[in-house]
Amino acid sequence: MAADALTISDLRKVYRGGVVGVDGVSFRVARGDFFGFLGPNGAGKSTTIHCITGIATVTSGTIEVFGIDVVAKYREARRLVGLSAQEFNVYTFATCVDILDWSAAYFGLPKRLRRERIAMMLERFGLTSHAKKEFRQLSGGLKRRLVLARALVHDPALLILDEPTAGVDVELRHELWAFLQDLNAAGKTIFLTSHYLEEVAHLCRTIAIVNEGRISRIGPKAEFLGDGGLEAAYFAAVGRRPVMMASPDEQ
Amino acid sequence: MNSSTETLTINWIGLGTIVRREAMRMMRVPIQVFLAPWISALLFIFIFGFVVGGRIAPIAGHRYLEFVLPGILMMNVVNSSFLQSSSQVYFSRFLRFVEETLVAPLSYVEMIAGSLAVVVARTVVTAVGILLMGAAFGATSIHSFVEFLFWIVAISVSFGLLGIIIGLWAKNFEQLNVLTVFFIAPLSMVGGVFNTIGMLPSWLRWLALLNPFFYFSSGLRHAMIGFSESSLGLGIAVTLALSAVLALLVWRLYAVGYGLRE
Repeated sequence: MAADALTISDLRKVYRGGVVGVDGVSFRVARGDFFGFLGPNGAGKSTTIHCITGIATVTSGTIEVFGIDVVAKYREARRLVGLSAQEFNVYTFATCVDILDWSAAYFGLPKRLRRERIAMMLERFGLTSHAKKEFRQLSGGLKRRLVLARALVHDPALLILDEPTAGVDVELRHELWAFLQDLNAAGKTIFLTSHYLEEVAHLCRTIAIVNEGRISRIGPKAEFLGDGGLEAAYFAAVGRRPVMMASPDEQ
Repeated sequence: MNSSTETLTINWIGLGTIVRREAMRMMRVPIQVFLAPWISALLFIFIFGFVVGGRIAPIAGHRYLEFVLPGILMMNVVNSSFLQSSSQVYFSRFLRFVEETLVAPLSYVEMIAGSLAVVVARTVVTAVGILLMGAAFGATSIHSFVEFLFWIVAISVSFGLLGIIIGLWAKNFEQLNVLTVFFIAPLSMVGGVFNTIGMLPSWLRWLALLNPFFYFSSGLRHAMIGFSESSLGLGIAVTLALSAVLALLVWRLYAVGYGLRE
């Protein structure tokens, strides 16, 4: 039987200074799934992603990508993963082409294949006319597209998106949603974190909610869409209540 | 974090890309990278070697300018290599583009080797420029090319490694300069750049022997004019030992993710 796209077992991450990022997190993401990972700020979403991708060290527990241990066989595992980080982790004076070229080359793609993939990514993300512009010259939306293109340039089997639509306008958000759905339909496994519950409800098939470093609820999306919808399920899972603002009429 | 079996293979394309990226970044600021050390060296050569040196008696049969040029070269090699690697590591952390390499299938050895390759390239270009300036004053000579190459590469690698450590440690721009101000500049100045040990008061001579910069300038001087105040073997041993200790420390810092991985 083929391994899951992602298997995390009893992951614990303690930062220098003793702050616990995640504490005993375990879950699986099936191949081809569109997996939503929700939680409040500081709950452990980015920490989990950083442990999967190698930005953070793992204190204990194991992480496997398509059955490959991300620590023991990091080269093999990392080739299968593409990350679109929450913050722009880019050399801002580099051009779009350079950023894509460097990233593809870090993953070992030969020059000819790099050229093909870069042209394809620029075209797919509407960046062709901006190819020679430096990153710092791009608008917020174009920056977000480029970071997504960079995550995909080496054609990873597992795409990890850490709040990919943060700060983008409604039109681009819908464009990205359609693009991500196409990617997923083509067989790519997608792991998405977002603070937009409607985004997760719209895109994902499986949802996990993490709170205070632990998984508080996980299951198929349908299980979260009962009374009150995903928002009610979310607040219940994180043990908080929404602060309801009074409407002007009520005031 | 990285397993031993996987570090046996080399990601040449990735390694070459680190070099390519850093070379491009370096060439964005050619005045700072090359012109500044060349102008500084030219001033040293002119003032200490030509103007003041003209009034100093020959040392071991060599004009003062010929005596001082290897030391000036050493100071610039030290500065160039330290600044290259410290700023590269610090800015890649500061702007977070280090994460591009952390998520890629690159080993620590490849990351470190990529940084050091650019360090050596920068110092070689800087050194060639200074040699040409020395030649314009009739002071450049190479006694042993192999020795010369050894000292340029060994000093570059040592201070490139030291720069990586400071680049990993620094939390702000000010900390980046701490080592230069309080360690590199004073020790290189008293490391036999402008004078022989014999010119020092006898009670200070033992201090010079503990100063690694003394062995660098002495070794380079031997490679260039065939005159040295220290044992060549001892100088090479001190330099290789320093490089080995720094390399082990850098490797260990990368392995635990110090300053790099959360």
